[in-house]
Amino acid sequence: MLRRLATLLLGLLIVGAAAPAQRLAALPARAESVKFAVIGDTGTGDRSQYEVGQQMAAVRGRFPFDTVIMLGDNMYGRQQPQDFVDKFERPYAALLKAGVTFYASLGNHDNQSNRFYKGFNMGGERYFTFAKQNVRFFVLDSNQMDPRQRAWLEQALNQSQDDWKVCYFHHPLYSNGGRHGSDVALRVLLEPLFTKYGVNVVFAGHDHTYERFAPQKGITYFVEGSSGELRRGDVRPSGATAAYFDQDQAFMLVEVSGDEFAFEAVARTGAVVDSGVIRRNPKT
Amino acid sequence: MHRHHAAAAHTPMHPHTHPHTHPHAFARHHGRRSAAGGLLARLSDRFLLLPLGAAIALVWANTAAESYFRFAQPLAFPVNEIGMALFFGLITQEIVEAVMPGGALHSWRRWGLALVGAAGGLAGAAAIFLAFVGYSYETVLMPGWPIACVIDIAAAYYALKTVLPRSGALPFALLLGISTNVVMIVIVAPRFPVLAVHAGGAALILVALGLAGLMRTLRVRVFWPYLLICGTVSWLAFYREGLHPAFALVPIVPFLRHEPRRLDLFADPPDDDATHHFEHEWNTLVQVILFFFGLVNAGVMLSGYDTGTWAVMLAALVGRPLGILTAVGAAVVLGLHLPKRIGWRELVVISLASSTGFAFGLFVATGILSIGPARAQLTIGVLATAVGWLLALGAARALRVGRFAR
Repeated sequence: MLRRLATLLLGLLIVGAAAPAQRLAALPARAESVKFAVIGDTGTGDRSQYEVGQQMAAVRGRFPFDTVIMLGDNMYGRQQPQDFVDKFERPYAALLKAGVTFYASLGNHDNQSNRFYKGFNMGGERYFTFAKQNVRFFVLDSNQMDPRQRAWLEQALNQSQDDWKVCYFHHPLYSNGGRHGSDVALRVLLEPLFTKYGVNVVFAGHDHTYERFAPQKGITYFVEGSSGELRRGDVRPSGATAAYFDQDQAFMLVEVSGDEFAFEAVARTGAVVDSGVIRRNPKT
Repeated sequence: MHRHHAAAAHTPMHPHTHPHTHPHAFARHHGRRSAAGGLLARLSDRFLLLPLGAAIALVWANTAAESYFRFAQPLAFPVNEIGMALFFGLITQEIVEAVMPGGALHSWRRWGLALVGAAGGLAGAAAIFLAFVGYSYETVLMPGWPIACVIDIAAAYYALKTVLPRSGALPFALLLGISTNVVMIVIVAPRFPVLAVHAGGAALILVALGLAGLMRTLRVRVFWPYLLICGTVSWLAFYREGLHPAFALVPIVPFLRHEPRRLDLFADPPDDDATHHFEHEWNTLVQVILFFFGLVNAGVMLSGYDTGTWAVMLAALVGRPLGILTAVGAAVVLGLHLPKRIGWRELVVISLASSTGFAFGLFVATGILSIGPARAQLTIGVLATAVGWLLALGAARALRVGRFAR
């Protein structure tokens, strides 16, 4: 009981401390910056997913992102053609109509053949990479980290000369979600590559909450698995937790400009529940 | 290797202790130093080193996960693909001797109903697994269906030895387990998650087989040349071809000189020829390998349980017994006969005793899936099928069969 009360208090303090900073440090929305949104565990087809989609479209008025990265579990339940309409095309219709491009990764609920669905822009691959200006994204299939995928990742990271290296996949290497938590086996396999090749930021979903970690070995880890599903009150924050939000659905906005990586976590209601800026050492 | 020590350890196929190497006798003869040896003999005699390794791994992974995985991941390949080659070599050796003319399982009449039961068990487990995973829309787990289908022969043996000693249950269950696992090995062998397949593997396999045939023609009775020359070439061939190198000794072992196991499939054969001497020599090593196999592969974070966990449990604990009973029932209706002193109540106990997938399940899980949450949740299911042993005991008690009969 005491532990739960302490947890609640800590959570309130973290969110409370973070909230004023949001208002002060809103995303600058510079003209030439890379702007993208982050959603995870979306594909329920429920009202809450639609409301998140509407909020994203509304936010785009002040923050014109052109890319959305999807952290897996893009489709729950049946995955017939009509489900792609109900669980993806309609919830994000306004964004799709505006020309926003979605890049998906596969979660445990996604049919592996969904990588061929055009709306997910995966090029038929389980793992792939793409770049936006000075930001390179590495998209992985964390369901199974087979030797070929790991070798591909190492080669792709090694070849990348981009300023920012962002990895995203479904299962979190760090999470304080009560249902799943950190996947330590994957962490031991992947983190050495991330640190060796200078990955800056990692996004994952799976736990249906939002959580940000204090940099671990120089890398900032986010969990954003509450853009459709939600497991209310599931986060058990640890000393490594920098911020979390588990009371409502949420999504993230990110702006990368030069050596700054600014982010906001936005609740379904539009409230900013976390924000900050990650700075990288400028290239010499 | 000390002769007595070596002979006291056993593979799951023949867990009886040789009279000369009973752990107590060993302890008496060797004083204080024998305590550890006696314990090792007891553990290996009862095929408990693997569960011991698995238990340590489970505790370690759930209390200090990062240090566990840093320890286990680099060891996975040498243990699973090199060390386990010896285990599968020994298994092959025992099967070959059991089914050769004069062997305990040579009669095909004994195989008929067991094969039918194995087919039914396979179909039942696979169907339940795929149905459950499909119903849950987690198709990413579907490639894991063989994990739910394999049988831990040692677990079945000990369960039945406990409740149905001195009946036809043991050979029937073992035939059922052997035939099931042989089918699964054939299915699993080509699914080795390799980085790349290299040319020349097939030619190397032919070279290995040719060398083994030549040695047999030259009446080479010592095992070492087969292991070191043919086994190494075969291992490289399997690896290059993208097959599981753990099975590299399977095609080599039949070339060895064999002696049929006439009396008891599980009796430790006399250590009186090169082949059996090899078996004694390597038994202890294999037991140690099995300990490390459990230690390296069974460490999963229990928070990773999910759909796959339930799918494996349902498939193994419900699907397989139902499949076995249904298939055997149909075969009996069509004219096949149940083994002597085996009725339907005993068959229920046999089918439940065959529901544990433990050691073979772990191997198949690591063999067809790479590190990740999918494998972790299926592995938890495999470990949980250990309760099949208790189910068999409970069923025997409830149905009043074997030692519970009045």
